[in-house]
Amino acid sequence: MSWFDPSLAAESLPALLRGAAMTIGLTVPILMLGMVIAIPVALGRLSEHRLTAAAAFAYVAFFRGTPSLILLYLVYSGLGVIAAVRASFLWPVLSHAYPCAVIGFALVHSAYVAEILRGGLAAVPTGVVEAGRALGFSPARLFFAVRLPMAGRLALKSYQNEVVIIIKSTAAVSAITVTDLMAAANEVFYITYDPFTPLLCAAGIYWVMINLVRGGFGAADRRLNAHLAIRLPDRPLRTRMRALRLRLRRPKTA
Amino acid sequence: MHLLSFGDQGYGDELFYGALLTMSLAVVGYLTSLICGVLIAVATLRPFGVRWTLWRLYASCFMSVPALLVIFLIYFGGAEMVSAALRLMGVSVRVQVTPFAAGAVGLGVVYSAYLAEGVRAAILNVPRGQFEAAQALQLSRLQMWSLVIAPQATRLALPGLVNLWIVVLKDTALISLVGLKDIIAQAKMAAGVTKEPFLFYIAAALFFVFMNGLTLHVSGWLDRHVARGMQAARS
Repeated sequence: MSWFDPSLAAESLPALLRGAAMTIGLTVPILMLGMVIAIPVALGRLSEHRLTAAAAFAYVAFFRGTPSLILLYLVYSGLGVIAAVRASFLWPVLSHAYPCAVIGFALVHSAYVAEILRGGLAAVPTGVVEAGRALGFSPARLFFAVRLPMAGRLALKSYQNEVVIIIKSTAAVSAITVTDLMAAANEVFYITYDPFTPLLCAAGIYWVMINLVRGGFGAADRRLNAHLAIRLPDRPLRTRMRALRLRLRRPKTA
Repeated sequence: MHLLSFGDQGYGDELFYGALLTMSLAVVGYLTSLICGVLIAVATLRPFGVRWTLWRLYASCFMSVPALLVIFLIYFGGAEMVSAALRLMGVSVRVQVTPFAAGAVGLGVVYSAYLAEGVRAAILNVPRGQFEAAQALQLSRLQMWSLVIAPQATRLALPGLVNLWIVVLKDTALISLVGLKDIIAQAKMAAGVTKEPFLFYIAAALFFVFMNGLTLHVSGWLDRHVARGMQAARS
Protein backbone atom coordinates (compact mmCIF):
# COMPACT_ATOMS: atom_id res chain seq x y z
CA MET A 1 0.00 0.00 0.00
CA SER A 2 1.54 3.28 -1.07
CA TRP A 3 0.39 6.68 0.11
CA PHE A 4 0.93 8.42 -3.19
CA ASP A 5 1.30 6.82 -6.61
CA PRO A 6 2.92 9.29 -9.06
CA SER A 7 2.12 7.23 -12.16
CA LEU A 8 -1.57 7.06 -11.22
CA ALA A 9 -1.48 10.79 -10.52
CA ALA A 10 -0.08 11.47 -13.99
CA GLU A 11 -2.56 9.09 -15.56
CA SER A 12 -5.61 10.62 -13.89
CA LEU A 13 -4.49 14.23 -14.28
CA PRO A 14 -6.39 14.86 -17.58
CA ALA A 15 -9.65 13.64 -16.01
CA LEU A 16 -9.05 15.77 -12.92
CA LEU A 17 -8.30 18.83 -15.04
CA ARG A 18 -11.52 18.27 -16.99
CA GLY A 19 -13.27 18.18 -13.61
CA ALA A 20 -11.51 21.39 -12.58
CA ALA A 21 -12.71 23.01 -15.81
CA MET A 22 -16.24 22.02 -14.83
CA THR A 23 -15.73 23.52 -11.36
CA ILE A 24 -14.69 26.81 -12.99
CA GLY A 25 -17.48 26.48 -15.54
CA LEU A 26 -19.95 26.24 -12.68
CA THR A 27 -18.45 28.99 -10.55
CA VAL A 28 -18.40 31.76 -13.17
CA PRO A 29 -22.12 31.62 -14.11
CA ILE A 30 -23.05 31.17 -10.43
CA LEU A 31 -21.17 34.36 -9.57
CA MET A 32 -22.80 36.28 -12.43
CA LEU A 33 -26.34 35.05 -11.79
CA GLY A 34 -25.86 35.50 -8.04
CA MET A 35 -24.83 39.14 -8.52
CA VAL A 36 -27.78 39.82 -10.85
CA ILE A 37 -30.19 38.54 -8.17
CA ALA A 38 -28.30 40.08 -5.25
CA ILE A 39 -28.48 43.74 -6.37
CA PRO A 40 -32.29 44.00 -6.32
CA VAL A 41 -32.46 41.98 -3.07
CA ALA A 42 -29.94 44.29 -1.40
CA LEU A 43 -31.95 47.31 -2.56
CA GLY A 44 -35.09 45.62 -1.24
CA ARG A 45 -33.41 45.16 2.16
CA LEU A 46 -32.64 48.89 2.25
CA SER A 47 -36.05 49.88 0.93
CA GLU A 48 -38.28 52.08 3.07
CA HIS A 49 -41.29 50.21 1.75
CA ARG A 50 -42.10 47.78 4.59
CA LEU A 51 -43.42 44.93 2.46
CA THR A 52 -40.44 45.02 0.06
CA ALA A 53 -38.01 45.04 2.97
CA ALA A 54 -39.81 42.12 4.63
CA ALA A 55 -39.84 40.08 1.42
CA ALA A 56 -36.13 40.71 0.87
CA PHE A 57 -35.43 39.79 4.50
CA ALA A 58 -37.36 36.52 4.14
CA TYR A 59 -35.45 35.72 0.94
CA VAL A 60 -32.11 36.27 2.67
CA ALA A 61 -33.12 34.37 5.83
CA PHE A 62 -34.34 31.34 3.87
CA PHE A 63 -31.50 31.02 1.38
CA ARG A 64 -28.74 31.85 3.84
CA GLY A 65 -30.09 29.39 6.35
CA THR A 66 -30.49 26.43 4.01
CA PRO A 67 -27.62 24.11 3.08
CA SER A 68 -26.90 24.40 -0.64
CA LEU A 69 -27.25 20.62 -0.99
CA ILE A 70 -30.99 20.83 -0.19
CA LEU A 71 -31.44 23.58 -2.77
CA LEU A 72 -29.58 21.51 -5.35
CA TYR A 73 -31.95 18.59 -4.80
CA LEU A 74 -34.94 20.92 -4.68
CA VAL A 75 -34.14 22.59 -8.01
CA TYR A 76 -33.03 19.37 -9.67
CA SER A 77 -36.02 17.23 -8.75
CA GLY A 78 -38.54 19.95 -7.93
CA LEU A 79 -38.63 21.84 -11.23
CA GLY A 80 -39.76 18.76 -13.13
CA VAL A 81 -42.79 18.41 -10.88
CA ILE A 82 -44.20 21.81 -11.80
CA ALA A 83 -46.35 21.32 -14.90
CA ALA A 84 -45.82 24.91 -16.09
CA VAL A 85 -42.04 24.40 -16.15
CA ARG A 86 -42.33 21.15 -18.07
CA ALA A 87 -44.57 22.78 -20.65
CA SER A 88 -42.43 25.88 -21.08
CA PHE A 89 -39.80 26.38 -23.76
CA LEU A 90 -37.13 26.36 -21.03
CA TRP A 91 -37.65 22.68 -20.18
CA PRO A 92 -35.05 21.32 -22.64
CA VAL A 93 -32.48 23.44 -20.75
CA LEU A 94 -33.79 22.95 -17.20
CA SER A 95 -34.08 19.18 -17.48
CA HIS A 96 -30.29 18.94 -17.37
CA ALA A 97 -28.30 18.83 -14.16
CA TYR A 98 -25.85 21.63 -15.01
CA PRO A 99 -28.33 24.55 -15.19
CA CYS A 100 -30.04 23.23 -12.05
CA ALA A 101 -26.71 23.28 -10.23
CA VAL A 102 -26.06 26.85 -11.36
CA ILE A 103 -29.52 27.97 -10.22
CA GLY A 104 -29.32 26.16 -6.87
CA PHE A 105 -25.93 27.60 -5.92
CA ALA A 106 -26.79 31.04 -7.32
CA LEU A 107 -29.80 31.25 -4.98
CA VAL A 108 -27.61 30.66 -1.91
CA HIS A 109 -24.81 32.87 -3.20
CA SER A 110 -27.19 35.74 -4.03
CA ALA A 111 -28.53 35.82 -0.48
CA TYR A 112 -25.02 36.16 0.98
CA VAL A 113 -23.94 38.73 -1.61
CA ALA A 114 -27.13 40.71 -0.99
CA GLU A 115 -26.18 41.04 2.69
CA ILE A 116 -22.62 42.03 1.80
CA LEU A 117 -23.85 44.62 -0.69
CA ARG A 118 -26.37 45.93 1.82
CA GLY A 119 -23.55 46.45 4.29
CA GLY A 120 -21.44 48.16 1.61
CA LEU A 121 -24.28 50.39 0.42
CA ALA A 122 -25.14 51.36 3.98
CA ALA A 123 -21.51 52.33 4.57
CA VAL A 124 -21.40 54.80 1.66
CA PRO A 125 -21.30 58.22 3.37
CA THR A 126 -24.62 60.07 3.12
CA GLY A 127 -22.76 63.23 2.15
CA VAL A 128 -21.59 61.58 -1.07
CA VAL A 129 -25.12 60.52 -1.96
CA GLU A 130 -26.42 64.01 -1.17
CA ALA A 131 -23.68 65.56 -3.30
CA GLY A 132 -24.75 63.36 -6.20
CA ARG A 133 -28.35 64.46 -5.75
CA ALA A 134 -27.31 68.10 -5.56
CA LEU A 135 -25.51 67.66 -8.88
CA GLY A 136 -28.82 66.52 -10.40
CA PHE A 137 -27.88 62.83 -10.90
CA SER A 138 -30.84 60.63 -11.72
CA PRO A 139 -31.46 57.88 -9.12
CA ALA A 140 -30.20 55.23 -11.57
CA ARG A 141 -27.03 57.15 -12.37
CA LEU A 142 -26.52 57.90 -8.68
CA PHE A 143 -26.74 54.18 -7.98
CA PHE A 144 -24.55 52.84 -10.77
CA ALA A 145 -21.99 55.65 -10.92
CA VAL A 146 -21.64 56.54 -7.24
CA ARG A 147 -23.19 54.20 -4.69
CA LEU A 148 -22.47 50.81 -6.26
CA PRO A 149 -18.78 51.46 -7.08
CA MET A 150 -18.13 52.76 -3.58
CA ALA A 151 -20.06 49.91 -1.95
CA GLY A 152 -18.18 47.43 -4.12
CA ARG A 153 -14.84 48.76 -2.93
CA LEU A 154 -15.93 48.56 0.70
CA ALA A 155 -17.38 45.06 0.30
CA LEU A 156 -14.47 43.58 -1.68
CA LYS A 157 -12.93 41.61 1.20
CA SER A 158 -16.22 40.00 2.25
CA TYR A 159 -17.04 39.25 -1.38
CA GLN A 160 -13.71 37.47 -1.76
CA ASN A 161 -14.64 35.20 1.15
CA GLU A 162 -17.97 34.46 -0.46
CA VAL A 163 -16.37 33.57 -3.82
CA VAL A 164 -13.95 31.19 -2.09
CA ILE A 165 -16.86 29.60 -0.19
CA ILE A 166 -18.86 29.07 -3.38
CA ILE A 167 -15.91 27.40 -5.14
CA LYS A 168 -15.62 25.02 -2.20
CA SER A 169 -19.37 24.39 -2.07
CA THR A 170 -19.48 23.32 -5.72
CA ALA A 171 -17.69 20.16 -4.54
CA ALA A 172 -21.15 18.85 -3.55
CA VAL A 173 -22.45 19.09 -7.11
CA SER A 174 -21.80 15.42 -7.86
CA ALA A 175 -24.95 14.76 -5.79
CA ILE A 176 -26.95 15.73 -8.88
CA THR A 177 -24.65 13.93 -11.37
CA VAL A 178 -22.46 16.82 -12.53
CA THR A 179 -18.83 15.68 -12.84
CA ASP A 180 -16.74 18.41 -11.26
CA LEU A 181 -13.23 18.12 -9.79
CA MET A 182 -14.45 16.34 -6.63
CA ALA A 183 -16.53 13.87 -8.65
CA ALA A 184 -13.65 13.22 -11.07
CA ALA A 185 -11.37 12.37 -8.13
CA ASN A 186 -14.02 10.05 -6.66
CA GLU A 187 -14.38 8.28 -10.01
CA VAL A 188 -10.65 7.54 -10.03
CA PHE A 189 -11.03 6.17 -6.50
CA TYR A 190 -13.92 3.89 -7.48
CA ILE A 191 -11.84 2.45 -10.35
CA THR A 192 -8.49 2.05 -8.56
CA TYR A 193 -9.48 1.88 -4.86
CA ASP A 194 -6.57 4.18 -4.13
CA PRO A 195 -8.08 6.69 -1.69
CA PHE A 196 -5.08 8.99 -1.42
CA THR A 197 -3.62 9.73 -4.85
CA PRO A 198 -6.70 11.12 -6.65
CA LEU A 199 -8.05 13.00 -3.63
CA LEU A 200 -4.68 14.55 -2.78
CA CYS A 201 -4.25 15.62 -6.43
CA ALA A 202 -7.72 17.15 -6.38
CA ALA A 203 -6.87 18.89 -3.10
CA GLY A 204 -3.76 20.34 -4.76
CA ILE A 205 -5.79 21.64 -7.71
CA TYR A 206 -8.38 23.20 -5.38
CA TRP A 207 -5.58 24.78 -3.37
CA VAL A 208 -4.08 26.37 -6.49
CA MET A 209 -7.45 27.60 -7.79
CA ILE A 210 -8.48 29.12 -4.47
CA ASN A 211 -5.15 30.78 -3.85
CA LEU A 212 -5.19 32.25 -7.37
CA VAL A 213 -8.60 33.74 -6.55
CA ARG A 214 -7.25 35.10 -3.26
CA GLY A 215 -4.26 36.58 -5.08
CA GLY A 216 -6.50 38.16 -7.72
CA PHE A 217 -8.72 39.74 -5.10
CA GLY A 218 -5.65 40.95 -3.23
CA ALA A 219 -4.39 42.69 -6.38
CA ALA A 220 -7.85 44.18 -7.05
CA ASP A 221 -8.01 45.39 -3.47
CA ARG A 222 -4.60 47.06 -3.67
CA ARG A 223 -5.64 48.79 -6.91
CA LEU A 224 -9.21 49.81 -6.03
CA ASN A 225 -8.56 50.67 -2.40
CA ALA A 226 -5.14 52.24 -2.84
CA HIS A 227 -6.46 55.40 -1.17
CA LEU A 228 -7.24 53.42 2.01
CA ALA A 229 -3.88 51.67 2.24
CA ILE A 230 -1.81 52.31 5.33
CA ARG A 231 1.40 54.04 4.32
CA LEU A 232 4.24 52.45 6.17
CA PRO A 233 6.84 54.90 7.40
CA ASP A 234 10.18 54.83 5.61
CA ARG A 235 12.50 52.15 6.80
CA PRO A 236 15.18 53.51 9.11
CA LEU A 237 17.99 52.55 6.70
CA ARG A 238 16.41 54.47 3.83
CA THR A 239 15.86 57.50 6.06
CA ARG A 240 19.46 57.41 7.14
CA MET A 241 20.63 57.12 3.52
CA ARG A 242 18.51 60.09 2.50
CA ALA A 243 19.86 62.16 5.36
CA LEU A 244 23.36 61.20 4.34
CA ARG A 245 22.74 62.16 0.73
CA LEU A 246 21.28 65.50 1.77
CA ARG A 247 24.29 66.21 3.92
CA LEU A 248 26.65 65.38 1.05
CA ARG A 249 24.73 67.63 -1.32
CA ARG A 250 24.65 70.62 0.99
CA PRO A 251 28.17 71.97 0.44
CA LYS A 252 27.54 72.23 -3.32
CA THR A 253 24.45 74.40 -2.93
CA ALA A 254 25.96 76.52 -0.24
CA MET B 1 -49.97 16.82 4.99
CA HIS B 2 -50.42 13.24 6.21
CA LEU B 3 -47.10 12.51 4.50
CA LEU B 4 -45.35 14.37 7.32
CA SER B 5 -47.17 12.45 10.05
CA PHE B 6 -45.39 10.01 12.34
CA GLY B 7 -45.84 6.24 12.04
CA ASP B 8 -45.72 4.03 8.98
CA GLN B 9 -48.08 6.26 6.98
CA GLY B 10 -45.92 9.34 6.93
CA TYR B 11 -42.25 10.26 6.96
CA GLY B 12 -42.38 12.52 10.04
CA ASP B 13 -40.52 10.05 12.26
CA GLU B 14 -37.82 9.41 9.63
CA LEU B 15 -37.27 13.14 9.24
CA PHE B 16 -37.25 13.60 13.01
CA TYR B 17 -34.59 10.94 13.61
CA GLY B 18 -32.64 12.31 10.66
CA ALA B 19 -32.76 15.74 12.25
CA LEU B 20 -31.55 14.31 15.57
CA LEU B 21 -28.63 12.66 13.77
CA THR B 22 -27.81 15.93 11.99
CA MET B 23 -27.87 17.81 15.28
CA SER B 24 -25.70 15.31 17.12
CA LEU B 25 -23.16 15.24 14.30
CA ALA B 26 -23.08 19.05 14.23
CA VAL B 27 -22.57 19.17 18.01
CA VAL B 28 -19.81 16.54 17.99
CA GLY B 29 -18.09 18.15 14.98
CA TYR B 30 -18.34 21.61 16.51
CA LEU B 31 -17.08 20.56 19.94
CA THR B 32 -14.14 18.76 18.32
CA SER B 33 -13.19 21.85 16.38
CA LEU B 34 -13.76 24.06 19.43
CA ILE B 35 -11.38 22.03 21.61
CA CYS B 36 -8.74 21.68 18.89
CA GLY B 37 -9.18 25.31 17.86
CA VAL B 38 -8.62 26.65 21.38
CA LEU B 39 -5.56 24.42 21.87
CA ILE B 40 -4.09 25.57 18.55
CA ALA B 41 -4.83 29.21 19.38
CA VAL B 42 -3.06 29.00 22.74
CA ALA B 43 -0.11 27.15 21.19
CA THR B 44 0.40 29.69 18.39
CA LEU B 45 0.09 33.01 20.19
CA ARG B 46 3.58 34.07 19.12
CA PRO B 47 3.83 34.52 15.34
CA PHE B 48 7.20 32.80 14.85
CA GLY B 49 8.96 29.50 15.46
CA VAL B 50 8.26 25.92 14.45
CA ARG B 51 4.75 25.82 15.90
CA TRP B 52 3.79 28.92 13.94
CA THR B 53 5.13 27.50 10.64
CA LEU B 54 3.30 24.20 11.20
CA TRP B 55 0.10 26.06 12.00
CA ARG B 56 0.32 28.25 8.87
CA LEU B 57 0.85 25.10 6.80
CA TYR B 58 -2.14 23.42 8.42
CA ALA B 59 -4.35 26.48 7.99
CA SER B 60 -3.34 26.93 4.37
CA CYS B 61 -4.08 23.28 3.55
CA PHE B 62 -7.48 23.05 5.17
CA MET B 63 -8.76 26.55 4.44
CA SER B 64 -8.12 26.20 0.71
CA VAL B 65 -9.75 22.81 0.20
CA PRO B 66 -13.48 21.93 0.31
CA ALA B 67 -14.62 20.31 3.57
CA LEU B 68 -16.32 17.63 1.48
CA LEU B 69 -12.95 16.56 0.04
CA VAL B 70 -11.48 16.17 3.53
CA ILE B 71 -14.53 14.15 4.57
CA PHE B 72 -14.20 11.84 1.54
CA LEU B 73 -10.48 11.46 2.22
CA ILE B 74 -11.17 10.36 5.78
CA TYR B 75 -14.09 8.15 4.79
CA PHE B 76 -12.19 6.35 2.02
CA GLY B 77 -8.68 6.46 3.48
CA GLY B 78 -9.24 6.85 7.20
CA ALA B 79 -9.15 3.12 7.89
CA GLU B 80 -5.78 2.92 6.14
CA MET B 81 -4.40 5.87 8.09
CA VAL B 82 -5.54 4.54 11.47
CA SER B 83 -4.21 1.02 10.85
CA ALA B 84 -0.89 2.44 9.68
CA ALA B 85 -0.66 4.51 12.86
CA LEU B 86 -1.56 1.48 14.98
CA ARG B 87 0.98 -0.69 13.14
CA LEU B 88 3.67 1.77 14.20
CA MET B 89 2.65 1.05 17.78
CA GLY B 90 2.77 -2.67 17.10
CA VAL B 91 -0.97 -3.27 17.02
CA SER B 92 -2.52 -4.83 13.95
CA VAL B 93 -6.28 -4.43 13.62
CA ARG B 94 -8.75 -3.72 10.84
CA VAL B 95 -10.67 -0.55 11.50
CA GLN B 96 -13.81 0.62 9.83
CA VAL B 97 -14.71 4.29 9.42
CA THR B 98 -18.42 5.00 9.79
CA PRO B 99 -19.97 7.98 7.97
CA PHE B 100 -20.62 9.61 11.34
CA ALA B 101 -16.99 9.32 12.43
CA ALA B 102 -15.73 10.53 9.04
CA GLY B 103 -18.06 13.51 9.27
CA ALA B 104 -17.15 14.40 12.85
CA VAL B 105 -13.39 14.12 12.24
CA GLY B 106 -13.59 15.88 8.86
CA LEU B 107 -15.60 18.82 10.19
CA GLY B 108 -13.37 18.92 13.28
CA VAL B 109 -10.15 19.03 11.26
CA VAL B 110 -11.37 21.69 8.83
CA TYR B 111 -13.18 23.99 11.23
CA SER B 112 -10.60 23.88 14.02
CA ALA B 113 -8.45 25.93 11.63
CA TYR B 114 -11.15 28.61 11.31
CA LEU B 115 -11.91 28.49 15.02
CA ALA B 116 -8.26 28.76 16.00
CA GLU B 117 -7.97 31.87 13.85
CA GLY B 118 -10.89 33.53 15.64
CA VAL B 119 -9.90 32.48 19.16
CA ARG B 120 -6.30 33.53 18.60
CA ALA B 121 -7.37 37.00 17.46
CA ALA B 122 -9.66 37.26 20.49
CA ILE B 123 -6.89 36.34 22.94
CA LEU B 124 -4.51 38.82 21.31
CA ASN B 125 -7.16 41.52 21.62
CA VAL B 126 -7.37 41.13 25.39
CA PRO B 127 -5.41 44.15 26.64
CA ARG B 128 -1.80 43.37 27.58
CA GLY B 129 -2.33 44.99 30.93
CA GLN B 130 -4.64 42.13 31.92
CA PHE B 131 -1.80 39.62 31.51
CA GLU B 132 0.57 41.88 33.42
CA ALA B 133 -1.96 42.49 36.17
CA ALA B 134 -2.47 38.74 36.57
CA GLN B 135 1.29 38.31 36.93
CA ALA B 136 1.53 41.19 39.37
CA LEU B 137 -1.14 39.51 41.50
CA GLN B 138 1.00 36.34 41.56
CA LEU B 139 -1.75 34.28 39.92
CA SER B 140 -0.66 30.89 38.64
CA ARG B 141 -0.73 30.34 34.88
CA LEU B 142 -3.87 28.24 35.21
CA GLN B 143 -5.58 30.92 37.28
CA MET B 144 -4.52 33.63 34.84
CA TRP B 145 -5.97 31.78 31.84
CA SER B 146 -9.15 30.53 33.46
CA LEU B 147 -10.08 33.52 35.64
CA VAL B 148 -8.70 36.52 33.77
CA ILE B 149 -8.07 35.85 30.10
CA ALA B 150 -10.67 33.24 29.13
CA PRO B 151 -13.75 35.23 30.25
CA GLN B 152 -12.60 38.32 28.35
CA ALA B 153 -11.50 36.41 25.26
CA THR B 154 -14.86 34.63 25.20
CA ARG B 155 -16.66 37.93 24.91
CA LEU B 156 -14.48 38.96 21.97
CA ALA B 157 -14.61 35.58 20.23
CA LEU B 158 -18.32 34.91 20.64
CA PRO B 159 -19.68 36.44 17.39
CA GLY B 160 -17.17 34.42 15.34
CA LEU B 161 -17.89 31.24 17.31
CA VAL B 162 -21.65 31.60 16.72
CA ASN B 163 -21.08 32.20 13.01
CA LEU B 164 -18.98 29.05 12.75
CA TRP B 165 -21.61 27.01 14.55
CA ILE B 166 -24.07 27.96 11.81
CA VAL B 167 -21.52 27.10 9.11
CA VAL B 168 -20.77 23.71 10.71
CA LEU B 169 -24.47 22.94 11.11
CA LYS B 170 -25.06 23.64 7.41
CA ASP B 171 -22.01 21.65 6.39
CA THR B 172 -23.24 18.51 8.17
CA ALA B 173 -25.59 18.29 5.16
CA LEU B 174 -22.54 17.11 3.19
CA ILE B 175 -22.17 13.96 5.28
CA SER B 176 -25.29 12.54 3.62
CA LEU B 177 -23.09 12.16 0.54
CA VAL B 178 -20.94 9.57 2.33
CA GLY B 179 -24.06 7.67 3.36
CA LEU B 180 -25.18 9.09 6.70
CA LYS B 181 -28.96 8.78 7.11
CA ASP B 182 -29.38 12.37 8.23
CA ILE B 183 -32.30 14.68 7.58
CA ILE B 184 -31.18 15.36 3.99
CA ALA B 185 -30.86 11.68 3.12
CA GLN B 186 -34.29 11.00 4.67
CA ALA B 187 -35.88 13.91 2.82
CA LYS B 188 -34.35 12.69 -0.44
CA MET B 189 -35.63 9.17 0.14
CA ALA B 190 -39.11 10.39 1.04
CA ALA B 191 -39.20 12.78 -1.93
CA GLY B 192 -38.20 9.95 -4.25
CA VAL B 193 -40.85 7.55 -2.97
CA THR B 194 -43.76 9.99 -2.81
CA LYS B 195 -42.83 12.21 -5.79
CA GLU B 196 -43.34 15.22 -3.52
CA PRO B 197 -39.92 16.92 -3.62
CA PHE B 198 -41.15 20.36 -2.57
CA LEU B 199 -42.85 19.17 0.60
CA PHE B 200 -39.88 17.23 1.96
CA TYR B 201 -37.01 19.41 0.83
CA ILE B 202 -38.70 22.56 2.09
CA ALA B 203 -39.45 20.81 5.39
CA ALA B 204 -35.75 19.94 5.68
CA ALA B 205 -34.76 23.47 4.66
CA LEU B 206 -37.08 24.98 7.26
CA PHE B 207 -35.47 22.80 9.94
CA PHE B 208 -32.12 24.46 9.16
CA VAL B 209 -33.68 27.94 8.96
CA PHE B 210 -35.37 27.33 12.32
CA MET B 211 -32.11 26.19 13.90
CA ASN B 212 -30.47 29.37 12.58
CA GLY B 213 -33.16 31.50 14.14
CA LEU B 214 -32.80 29.63 17.42
CA THR B 215 -29.02 30.11 17.30
CA LEU B 216 -29.38 33.85 16.82
CA HIS B 217 -31.84 34.01 19.71
CA VAL B 218 -29.55 32.09 22.07
CA SER B 219 -26.48 34.00 20.91
CA GLY B 220 -28.19 37.28 21.75
CA TRP B 221 -28.69 36.01 25.29
CA LEU B 222 -25.11 34.67 25.45
CA ASP B 223 -23.78 37.99 24.19
CA ARG B 224 -25.46 39.81 27.05
CA HIS B 225 -24.26 37.18 29.50
CA VAL B 226 -20.56 37.33 28.57
CA ALA B 227 -20.67 41.13 28.33
CA ARG B 228 -22.23 41.53 31.77
CA GLY B 229 -19.00 43.02 33.05
CA MET B 230 -19.15 45.74 30.39
CA GLN B 231 -22.63 47.01 31.25
CA ALA B 232 -23.16 50.47 32.68
CA ALA B 233 -23.52 50.48 36.44
CA ARG B 234 -27.06 50.70 37.71
CA SER B 235 -27.60 53.11 40.55
